[in-house]
Amino acid sequence: MHFNSKDIDLYAGQKDYVDTAVVPLIELDLTDAGMKASAEASEYLQSLTVILEKQFKGRILLLPPISYVRAADRAELGEQLKKELSETGFKHIFYLTTDPKWRSVEELENVLWLPAIPTGDMDQSFKKSVMEDQLRQVLPLFTKEWTHHS
Amino acid sequence: MSNNRVSRRQFLGYTLTGVGGFMAAGMLMPMVRFAVDPILQQQDAGDYVLTDQAVADITEEPVRVDFTFEQVDAWYTSEVTNSAWVYKEGDKLIALSPVCKHLGCTVNWGGDPENPTQFFCPCHAGRYEKNGQNIAGTPPLGPLDEYQVQEQDGFVAIGAVRENTLV
Repeated sequence: MHFNSKDIDLYAGQKDYVDTAVVPLIELDLTDAGMKASAEASEYLQSLTVILEKQFKGRILLLPPISYVRAADRAELGEQLKKELSETGFKHIFYLTTDPKWRSVEELENVLWLPAIPTGDMDQSFKKSVMEDQLRQVLPLFTKEWTHHS
Repeated sequence: MSNNRVSRRQFLGYTLTGVGGFMAAGMLMPMVRFAVDPILQQQDAGDYVLTDQAVADITEEPVRVDFTFEQVDAWYTSEVTNSAWVYKEGDKLIALSPVCKHLGCTVNWGGDPENPTQFFCPCHAGRYEKNGQNIAGTPPLGPLDEYQVQEQDGFVAIGAVRENTLV
């Protein structure tokens, strides 16, 4: 489900079934050199989370992307996110990111790090097949988590 | 000509009838045109979205067929790709919506290794028969929706979604 009023109404009535939160983490790099790559990573991660949401609409709540500047303290941000989410009823929380700095952050479990693929210049159908390949890599991680802790 | 002289009175009568006739016609014609307009409207066949799936390749085994259309959401136009599970029953094409009737996940044909001839929803293990009938005891409460489907030049074209008519 998306983080909008319609889906949240539905979520409020179906909390037992919607037990997984997905949090995209996006680093903002606004320097001349890094802006393009940052935008590509953001575009990639958002496309991926949207098709993920489409596949698992009834079980996941896709939160809006958490964006932070390059200098942000990942450990502290992770701590805060974890605290906020621990006050909800979500049994499973996944963080999706293309930012390699999260790999060394111990605060968060289930951080799925994915290398960003620049999809901006691809034509529609090629982009679609690339994104579906990516989705196929991610899906088993979700189903595995669900079957292990359900 | 000479023994049929038109009197001044007759001439005026003809003239007024003629002009009045034109005026009446001028008023009535648009009204008639408006009245019959719905009948003249072209039935739009463009409600069907053509896919690149050849009908000849469809078997009794459901395959996923993607189709793309433009969706306008307030001021934002986007291309939306949906898919359908298409198979043949005899010679008849059948297209089922992949949206689970429970909470809207996407179902897969044969997604559950233990039930290879059913649709399976990975979210809460909902299952459906091949014709979309939901299996009692699993979370979904209704059968999968069905798409209107037709063949256009040998390819599958997918139309509006409707309630399942097979179960």
